[in-house]
Amino acid sequence: MTSLSAPLGRQKRARRFPVGLLLVAAPVILVVALVIYPILSSLSTTLNVDVAGAGRFSLANYARFFSDDQSLRNLRFTAWFTTTTVALLFLVCLPLALYLRFSFGRLPAFVQAIATFPLFVPGIIVAYALIRFIGPNGTLQSLLDAAGLHGYRTPYLTTWGPVIGLLWEGIPLTLLVLVSGLSQVPQAAIDAARDVGAGPLRILVFIILPLIRNSIIVALSLEFLRIFGAFTQPYLLGPASPESMGVYMQRTFGDLQDPVQAATQAMITFLCCSVAGVIYVRTIIANRRAGR
Amino acid sequence: MRDQTRSTLDKLSIDHIVKRFGPSVAVDDVSLSIPTGELVCLLGPSGCGKSTVLRMVAGFEMPSAGRIAIDGEDVGTLPPNRRPTGMVFQGHALWSHMTVAQNIAFGLKLRHLPRATVNQKVAEVLELVGLKGFEHRHPGQLSGGQQQRVAIARCVVLEPKILLMDEPFSALDAHLRVRLREEVRTIQRRLGLTTVFVTHDQEEALTLADRIVVMNAGRIEQIGTPDSIYGRPGTRFVAGFIGTMNMIETRVQGGAARLGPIAIAVDAPEGPVTLAVRPEDFSLVEVGSAGSVAGVVERIIDLGAFRMADIRIDAGLVLKAQIGKGRRIAVGDTLALRPEHLILFGADGTARPAAIPIAA
Repeated sequence: MTSLSAPLGRQKRARRFPVGLLLVAAPVILVVALVIYPILSSLSTTLNVDVAGAGRFSLANYARFFSDDQSLRNLRFTAWFTTTTVALLFLVCLPLALYLRFSFGRLPAFVQAIATFPLFVPGIIVAYALIRFIGPNGTLQSLLDAAGLHGYRTPYLTTWGPVIGLLWEGIPLTLLVLVSGLSQVPQAAIDAARDVGAGPLRILVFIILPLIRNSIIVALSLEFLRIFGAFTQPYLLGPASPESMGVYMQRTFGDLQDPVQAATQAMITFLCCSVAGVIYVRTIIANRRAGR
Repeated sequence: MRDQTRSTLDKLSIDHIVKRFGPSVAVDDVSLSIPTGELVCLLGPSGCGKSTVLRMVAGFEMPSAGRIAIDGEDVGTLPPNRRPTGMVFQGHALWSHMTVAQNIAFGLKLRHLPRATVNQKVAEVLELVGLKGFEHRHPGQLSGGQQQRVAIARCVVLEPKILLMDEPFSALDAHLRVRLREEVRTIQRRLGLTTVFVTHDQEEALTLADRIVVMNAGRIEQIGTPDSIYGRPGTRFVAGFIGTMNMIETRVQGGAARLGPIAIAVDAPEGPVTLAVRPEDFSLVEVGSAGSVAGVVERIIDLGAFRMADIRIDAGLVLKAQIGKGRRIAVGDTLALRPEHLILFGADGTARPAAIPIAA
C-alpha cells in the first residue's frame, strides 16, 4: 500500500509544480522587466564613462554628485523633510491610533473616517487645497486676520511646505497600520500590566510600544520610502532651492538634458531608500517566522 | 443571597454589589465575605456574572452599586494598579516581548525595589512554581502549563492580599489541569493566600475550594463547602448544575409525592414538585422490594471505576443509576432501584427541609 501511494503522491506533486510556477511567473517577469532591469541598467550607465568611444568603469559620476554643493544640499534637504515628516507622522498618528483602539462609540468611528479621508484624495488636489489654505492670503491667514492676529508667515514655498503636504497625505496609511498593530495587543496584556501596578504611561512605554514595534517599523519604513521619492508635494509646496531629489532628478533629466547625472541621482536615492527597504523586509520576514 | 456566616475580620467583603451594562444586569445584589487564607470558587455557567464579580474586585470594572472592602478598607473607587490584589488571567496574558524573569520582575521594578531584591524574589518565586532555569526564555518558548505557572508567579511575587484567578486552566488539557490545580492548592496553602477562583468546571471547584459560591443569572444561588453543595443543594439549579442528578417532575397529593409506583411522604403543600436523586443514591434491590421502583436497562456506559446505567421506569421516566463493577448487568435486564437519599424541590425551586420517609 505504501509503495503504491508514495509514487502517486510524487506524481500529484509533479503535476502541481508547473501550475505553481505559472502563477508566480507573471509577477516575477514584471518585477524583473520593470524593476530589476532598469536598476541594473542605471547602475551600469552610472558606473561607465565614455573614453575614446569605449565604455570604462568609473566612479566619476558619483564623485561629481558628491562634490557638487547643490546636489548635496538637495540630498540633505530630502533626508531632512523625510525624517521630519516620518517623525511627525509617528507623533500625530500614535495618539490617534491609541484613541481609536481604546475608545468605543460613534465619535471614534467619525474620527477614523476623517483621518482616513486623505487616502481617497489625489496628491495634486491636496497640494492645491493646501496652497489655498496655508498660502499667502489663504483661508488660514484670513481667519487669523479676522481674529486680530496679524504677521502670519506662510510655510508655502518654504522647507516646511512639503512637510505639511506629505504629513497630510501620510496620515491615513500610518494610522491604519498602527491601529491594526494595536488591535493585536490583547486587552488581557494591558489589564495584567495595570494589575501589577503600571499606570497609563508605563503601560504605553513598557507594554504597548514594544508589542506594536513591528507595526511601527512597517508603517514608518513604508512612509520613508514614499516620502524620500515624493515629487508632487515638494514640487508644488516646497522652495525652488534646495529641492527634493525627485524634483532635482526631473530637472536634471528634462531641463538640463543630463540623463546620466539624473540616473546617478536616482541610484543614490535608491540606495538611501534601500536602507528603509531592508528594514521593512527584515521586519516582514521576522513576523512570518514568529507566525504573527 | 447574603453570606451571613462571616465576621467583620474578613479579608474580602463584597456587600450588595450590582453591575449593570446598559439595560442588562450582569451582577445582581451579590454579597460575600471571605476570611484570610480561604480559597473560594465562584462557579456557574457562562454569562452568570462570576468573572464580572472578579473583575470588580480587581478594579477592572466599577460596581454600579454596593461596596467592596479589603481588610475593612473600601477599595471600590481605586483603579487596579492601586488595589492589593493580583489577578491570573484566562489566557495567561504574559508579555511576549519580555523573558520569564522580566515578566515576573516588572511589578517589582514598578515598586522601585533594589535590583538585588528583585533578582532574589524572582529566583524564589520561580523555584516555588517549579520553573527554575527558565528565567531567560520568552513566553513563546514555553508550554501552556509553564506559561500559566509564570502568570501565577507574576502575581504571587507581589504578595497580594487577595489572589484572583479567572478560569486560569480553561485553555489547558485535562491532565495538565488536574496537575496545575493541585500545585495551585499547594502554593495557596503554603503562602496562606486568600484566593477567589472563577471556574465553570464543577470538578475543579469541588476539588479546589474551601467554599463554593454557585452563581446563576447574576445572583448567588448557594454558598457552601463542596460537600454541602454536592450533598445538600439548596436550589433546583444547583442540584442540576453540580454533578449528575435525576430530576423527577411530580406532584404532591394528599401529603405524598409519587416516584413511579412508590408513594413518598413529603412535608410540602399540594402542587408540582421535583424529586432529585443522585445516581449513586440508588441501591439495587430485589424486584418487588418495598420502596423500590423497577425498570429495564436501556444503556450502560462504563466510566472506569463504575458503570452508569439508564433505566427506563415508564414511557416518560428514565433514571440514571450508578452500578458497581461487581454487579453483572446487561441491556434489557429488569432492575429494581431504591432511592436512599432524596431531595425535594418545591415549585419555587428551593429545597424543602430534610428527611423524607419512603413508604411502600
